[in-house]
Amino acid sequence: MNHKELENRLSQIKDKLISIEHQPHDRIYLLCESENSYEVNKFLFEDVGLRFAIATGIDSDDCFEILYHYCCDEIGHVVTVKSFIRDRENPATESIAPFLPGAEWIEREIHDILGIEFKNHPDMRRLILADDWPDGVYPLRKGTKRPDSKPSSQPIAQSQSPAGRTIQMSKPIVAVGPFHPLQEEMEFYQLTVDGEKVTDIDVRISYNHRGIEGISESLQFDQVPFLVSRVCGICSASHPLAYVQAVEDIAGVKPPERALYVRTIINELERIHSHLLWVGLAGHFIGYDTVFMWAWKYREPVLDLLEEITGNRNNYGNVKVGGCREDIPNELIPKILKELDKVEKKTEMLTNAVLDDPVLHARLKGVGVLTREDAIQYAVTGPTARGSGVAIDVRHDEPYAAYGDLDWNVISEPQGDVFAKAVVRLLETLESVKMIRQALRKIPDGPVAVEVKEIPPGEGVGHAEAPRGETFHYVRSDGGNRPVRHKIRAPSYVNVPSFKASCIGGHIADVTLTLAAVDPCYSCTERLAVVDGHNNIVHNYEALLQMSREKTARIKKELGVPGIKMEDLQIG
Amino acid sequence: MNWKIWSLKKSPWVFHVNTGACNNCDIEIVNLLTPKFDVERFGIKLVGSPRHADALLVTGVVTRQAAPRLKEVYRQTPKPCVVFAMGACACDTGIFNPGYHVVGPVDKIIKEVDPNAIIAYVPGCPPKPEAMISGVVKALSAL
Repeated sequence: MNHKELENRLSQIKDKLISIEHQPHDRIYLLCESENSYEVNKFLFEDVGLRFAIATGIDSDDCFEILYHYCCDEIGHVVTVKSFIRDRENPATESIAPFLPGAEWIEREIHDILGIEFKNHPDMRRLILADDWPDGVYPLRKGTKRPDSKPSSQPIAQSQSPAGRTIQMSKPIVAVGPFHPLQEEMEFYQLTVDGEKVTDIDVRISYNHRGIEGISESLQFDQVPFLVSRVCGICSASHPLAYVQAVEDIAGVKPPERALYVRTIINELERIHSHLLWVGLAGHFIGYDTVFMWAWKYREPVLDLLEEITGNRNNYGNVKVGGCREDIPNELIPKILKELDKVEKKTEMLTNAVLDDPVLHARLKGVGVLTREDAIQYAVTGPTARGSGVAIDVRHDEPYAAYGDLDWNVISEPQGDVFAKAVVRLLETLESVKMIRQALRKIPDGPVAVEVKEIPPGEGVGHAEAPRGETFHYVRSDGGNRPVRHKIRAPSYVNVPSFKASCIGGHIADVTLTLAAVDPCYSCTERLAVVDGHNNIVHNYEALLQMSREKTARIKKELGVPGIKMEDLQIG
Repeated sequence: MNWKIWSLKKSPWVFHVNTGACNNCDIEIVNLLTPKFDVERFGIKLVGSPRHADALLVTGVVTRQAAPRLKEVYRQTPKPCVVFAMGACACDTGIFNPGYHVVGPVDKIIKEVDPNAIIAYVPGCPPKPEAMISGVVKALSAL
C-alpha cells in the first residue's frame, strides 16, 4: 500500500465522517460522531488492515473525545479516528472490542478514568483503579479532586478476587501473584486448570498504576521527559524519545543531526542491555542459572558505558525537546567500540549456545505459541510480534532518529513459540551492536540541541521502538506550557493480553515461561508470593519454578544429555 | 545486645516487595545477586516468601491497590525485621507525588501497622548497587 492507495481507501468511508484532516509527518485524522465510530473502526481494522495502536480518552470542555490510533506500518502513517461523544451526562459509545480484542483493555481503562460506557463490551470490570477506589470518581475528568488518600482497611482476601467476577468453584484455580513473577508490574493471575492443562487465564492489574498521565498534565513540557523515563526503568530511553518526537511534531522542530545519532546510540545500548537481561531471565526460568549469571555479567559493561555517556546506569534523562541534553564526547568513541567488540563476542557465544542446545530446542519449541492471526488480533508489537512472523518495527517502518541512515535487518521468525522469541531477541542484540558501530563511525560534528521557545496549540503523535515493542505517545497542547492531554501506551499493554491466546491449552509448567516470553521485564522474578484467597489449589512461585525445571530435567534425561562438569566449561 | 537483633545482623535474608516502582530499583536489586556485585558472598539471599525474610526491600511509591498488600506482607514477616525503603519513590514518593493513585510513602504505610518498625532509607533514582550495599551495611551496623 502506498500513500495514494491509503487515501483512496479512506475516502470510501467519507460519508460516515465529519472531515479528514492531514497533518505533517503523515498523520491523518478522521473526525466522526460517536454513533459512527464502530463502523469506521471496523472498516479501518478489518477492511484496510491497519494495526490498532491504542485509544485515548479526552475530556474536552463541551464533549468527550475518544481517539483511536492506528498505524499503517507498510508506509509509516498514523491514522487517528477522532470520535466525539456529545452527551456529557451519560457518555456512551459502541465498544470495538468484539472484533478487536486488542482494544479490550483500553476501553476498560477509559471507563475507569473518564466514566464512559462501552456498549456490548465483553468484560467491563475495573482495570487500573484500586479495588477500593470510590465509585463515580473519574480521575481524568476535569476538576476531579484526588479522593481521600486513606485506602479502606478491608481484608485482602475479599478484595483479591477481580472486581465483579464470579469464580467458578468447580474448576481448580491457580493463583499467581500479586507479588508475581515476570512482568514489570505486580499483577495477579488466576489460571483455571484442568489437570495440568490451563483452560482459562485472568489477570488483575492496578498494583503499579501511578497515574502518570495525570501527573504529566501538571508538569511543563520540558519536565515531562524526566517523568516518562520513569514509566519503566528498562525503557527509560525510548519513552522520553517517543514523547519528544510527539512534541517536536507539534512545534515543527527538527533536532540537529548529531542529536539524532546520540539518541540512536543510547536507544540501541538500552536494547542490548534489555535483551541480555531477558536472555538471562529465560535461562533462570528453565533452570539454566548459568545462562542467567553469564548474560547479566555481560550486560554490566553496557550499563557502565551508559553511565559514562549519560551519568546514570538507568533513567538517562538525556533527551529533550529539540535535541539532547548531553553530547557523546568524541574521545569516548574508541572506548565504546572496544566494549562493543566484547559484548558482540559474548552475545554470539550465547546465541550459539542457545541454537545448538538440543535441550533448549526440546524445551522451548512449540511452547506458548502465539499464531500470526492472534498476534494481529491482539495488535502485539516488538519481539512478541516479530517472533510470530509479523515483521513490524517502528525503526524500519517509520525511521526516526538516525535509523534511516543505518544498514540493518528486521529480525523475524514465523513460529510464534518461546524459542522463536528467544532467537529474535538474541539476533536483534547483534543487529544493535552493528547499528551502534555504524552510528559511531558516521556521527557528524555539531551541536546537539536547538532552542525551542513556545509549543504552539496542536496535537502530535510520537512512537519509538522500545526493547519490548512500540511505545506510543500522544500529546495535545493548547498553547500553554503544559500538555493538556498526554497518552502513553507502553508495549506490554498490548503484549500482555495476548496471554489469553498463548497460555490457554498449555501446561502449568510452561506458564511462567510463556508469560516471560512476551516481556520479561524482570523486576519481579523472585517475588511470587501466593495468596490463598479462594481455598483452591495454590502453587507458589517456587513450586511453579520447580515444575518448570523438572520438565527441563525430564527432557534432558530423555535426550540422554550428560550432566556438565565444571572442568568442561571454558570460562572466558 | 538482644540476641534476636544480634542474629538478624548475620546473613540477612531479604524479600523484595514492589509496591508500584518503575522497575529500575528492582532490576538493580536483582543485579546485586549477579557476578559483578554478588552479595550472596555476604550471606544476603533473596527469598521467595516474607515468612523466611529478615528484611524487606521495598521499592516504589505504594499505590492505593498495593498498600493493603504491603501491610499484609509486613505482618507476615517475622519480627524483628528491617524495612529498607529502596529508592526515591519508596523514601518519599519522589516524582510521582501528585499522582491520584499514590498513597505512600513506604514508611507511612508501614507505621500504620507497626509504629515502631525499623525503617532504613536508601535514596537515589535508582540507587546504584553500591549504594544499596552500603545502605544495608549501615543499617545493620546501627542496630
